[in-house]
Amino acid sequence: MTSQTMTEPVPAQARLSVRSVLQNAGIGLALLALILFFSVFTEHFLTPNNITNILTQITINLVLAVGMTFVILIGGIDLSVGSVMAFAAVVAGKAITLPGFGPAEAIALAIVAATVTGVACGIFNGVVSAYWALPSFIITLGMLNIARGAALQVSDAQTIYSFPFAFEEFGSSMVYGVPVVFLVALLLVLVAWFILNFTVFGRLLYGIGNNEEAVRLAGHPVFWYKVAAFTICGFTAGIAAIVYMARLNISSPIAGIGFELNAIAAVIIGGTSLSGGRGSVIGTLLGAFIIGVLANGLILIGLSDFMRQMITGVVIIIAVVLDYYRAKYTSK
Amino acid sequence: MSFLSVEGLKKHFGGVKALDGVSFSLDKGEVHALVGENGAGKSTLIKILSGVFPHDEGSISFGGEAYQPANPHEAKELGVQVVHQEFNLLDHLTIAENVSIERMPRSRFGVLDRREMNRRARMALDAIGLTDIDVRAPVSSLGIAHRQLVEISRALQFRSKILILDEPTATLTERETSRLFDIVAGIKADGVTVVFVSHHLEEVFTICDRVTVFRNGKTISTDKIEDTTPEGVVQKMVGRELLANDRVDAQQLPKGEVALSVKDLVTTANPSGKGVSLELHYGEIVGLAGLVGSGRTEILRGIFGIDPIVSGKIFRDEKPVRFSGPRDAIAAGVGFVTEDRKDEGLILDMPISANISLANMGAVSSSGLLQFASEQRRARESGQKLKLKYGKLSDPVSSLSGGNQQKVVLAKWLSRNPKVLLLDEPTRGVDVGAKAEIYAILKDLARDGVSLLVVSSEIPELMTLADRILVLAEHQIQGVLTPAEFSEENILKLAYGQSQTGGDKLQ
Repeated sequence: MTSQTMTEPVPAQARLSVRSVLQNAGIGLALLALILFFSVFTEHFLTPNNITNILTQITINLVLAVGMTFVILIGGIDLSVGSVMAFAAVVAGKAITLPGFGPAEAIALAIVAATVTGVACGIFNGVVSAYWALPSFIITLGMLNIARGAALQVSDAQTIYSFPFAFEEFGSSMVYGVPVVFLVALLLVLVAWFILNFTVFGRLLYGIGNNEEAVRLAGHPVFWYKVAAFTICGFTAGIAAIVYMARLNISSPIAGIGFELNAIAAVIIGGTSLSGGRGSVIGTLLGAFIIGVLANGLILIGLSDFMRQMITGVVIIIAVVLDYYRAKYTSK
Repeated sequence: MSFLSVEGLKKHFGGVKALDGVSFSLDKGEVHALVGENGAGKSTLIKILSGVFPHDEGSISFGGEAYQPANPHEAKELGVQVVHQEFNLLDHLTIAENVSIERMPRSRFGVLDRREMNRRARMALDAIGLTDIDVRAPVSSLGIAHRQLVEISRALQFRSKILILDEPTATLTERETSRLFDIVAGIKADGVTVVFVSHHLEEVFTICDRVTVFRNGKTISTDKIEDTTPEGVVQKMVGRELLANDRVDAQQLPKGEVALSVKDLVTTANPSGKGVSLELHYGEIVGLAGLVGSGRTEILRGIFGIDPIVSGKIFRDEKPVRFSGPRDAIAAGVGFVTEDRKDEGLILDMPISANISLANMGAVSSSGLLQFASEQRRARESGQKLKLKYGKLSDPVSSLSGGNQQKVVLAKWLSRNPKVLLLDEPTRGVDVGAKAEIYAILKDLARDGVSLLVVSSEIPELMTLADRILVLAEHQIQGVLTPAEFSEENILKLAYGQSQTGGDKLQ
């Protein structure tokens, strides 16, 4: 209670970002420690090849997690992203293999088909859960099944393949050893970061996560903002579908099973609160890296994939416990 | 003879001095009031007495021995019980389960002895005169007032020597308050010392024997009630004299055109089906009085487009309007300072500046991009205008005191320059000093031509502020009082729906 009226020497936004940097610093340090650990204890961790590997491996999860960050920030959750990704991939796979198109048109068509499918599923999730004020956990659980069934139905449960060569090339091309698909994911992170920090829309998403009623009573169309958050999540599922197709050169209706949980894990490890209103997409980026580095490093060290899974689980729990203390100390 | 005495108590939290020399004593079987502005140190003292945290310096003696409970459980064992401002009841459990939650009776095999539990709960409730309540009912079936009484009965069953009531009347109606006071008198007659923390001086002067005033972490004085006056206590709390209220010059202003009127308005929240009609003029403050549940808040929510309208019309500048949501109402120049700032008014974890611009994002952005510099400037300006006390504009609103939080809510709406401002309990949970400042702000607004409709449960507040008071009962306006007719008696009579005395009965 030592407050007094005074003028502000430093713009609050600068402080705000200082605070969020500090919040992310803990996660960043954890990531650094992991990298250091694996560099010391394994021979191949810090080699260009392996780094390329890690970047490729985390790309799809990172893309899904960016969209998931929006939904979790408004206090929701989207369990359907894995299935929606498969559905979008199958629809795009059908589109790209349509006869009578040149490679460029076919690829463009596939990109449109995947994003439109993802966006449509996102809009459905958003409209149904926001209009009837139903828990998005349940609605997106429904969508998880709908999209998976639709993927199997559309593809006749067959894997679709033989895509244009240019598409495959895009999936495996590098810039200075960095996979182009990872750069796409990074671009999404930057755009999301900009939206969340510098637009009215982003500000109000944080507001809705904290106190929906206050935002509504201040005259903002909360319904549409919520729909928008789910739509963004569906859109990133569509982008993830394209990345997936370009990398593996197939569209499988059983792709992406369990991907939603990895995406949620990246968001949570990145320090975004499951109850909404607090967190950042930079945290999500770091969270996706932590999961990817752990997966890669633990295998290199010689642990089984089962052990890797257990350790990832422990990390998620540690992240949530740390978040409890962070919430406690920043609010007092 | 003093029974508990506190000498030179100090407590720091980091660099902040929460208590900076608190000394007072309690006599056996007295009702002792602790008063002071928010942040004056009352809550900290209560937490030390109830064992939540230890003190840094000073001494406490209780019944002749040094008293320093290690935790709340030990404090309870020693006979110090607190009934907190926020309820600590488990809604879905029964009343009996709640009363016994700290010490569940067990039968021989360690199974819960339900019969014994219900018997004890019955005794506890009977002891404070709640004979009409079934202990097997879930707490969620009780109203707020009864929940409070259940908490008191739970606290009392452990042979308490000292019972601390922290703002017990904040959510009670007057009738419920007087029942609480009867119970307090009964507890006192049993020799229990009651510590009463309240913002309401009339209550302090009704039931307390002595009053200790806190200011800035220090105790200023302890007086016998008969040796002091409410004005004297306020002066000590604030450390200066409050401005005498200036309602006289407000009277001389001519009334403006009708800013907003409501005709036969019935919302989905109004069960009676009979409509409400009222007119608000520019430059006038209209008070809306009535008991809790009389439909005051519902009128504001109806006007603002929150609760759907069943029938009736709203006119803005004499033109019919239809607000399908807060967005439309705001676009028409209407603002709504809601009753519950934590649930409806503020985004507690967000910065002060972001909260101030929440209803006016257009002014602090261009084509959807936030303009941080202009947001800072506007927030700083409205902070100065409203004498907001804060550390940094980037601090979360939750770091502010109740009065300053309320000023942020006001700032949020004032940033839109509303023509009509609806206010629901604008000074609830706000300390005396900030209250006076908020009154001054509202009067200035009226002077600038804004039309204000104020709902309040505090009759003196309405009498200070309003140019007219409408009294509601059962979703109907029972009468309109002009300043000459303002009195608690006239308002209460109408509010209880008893008589037309002093008011022009509408219709």
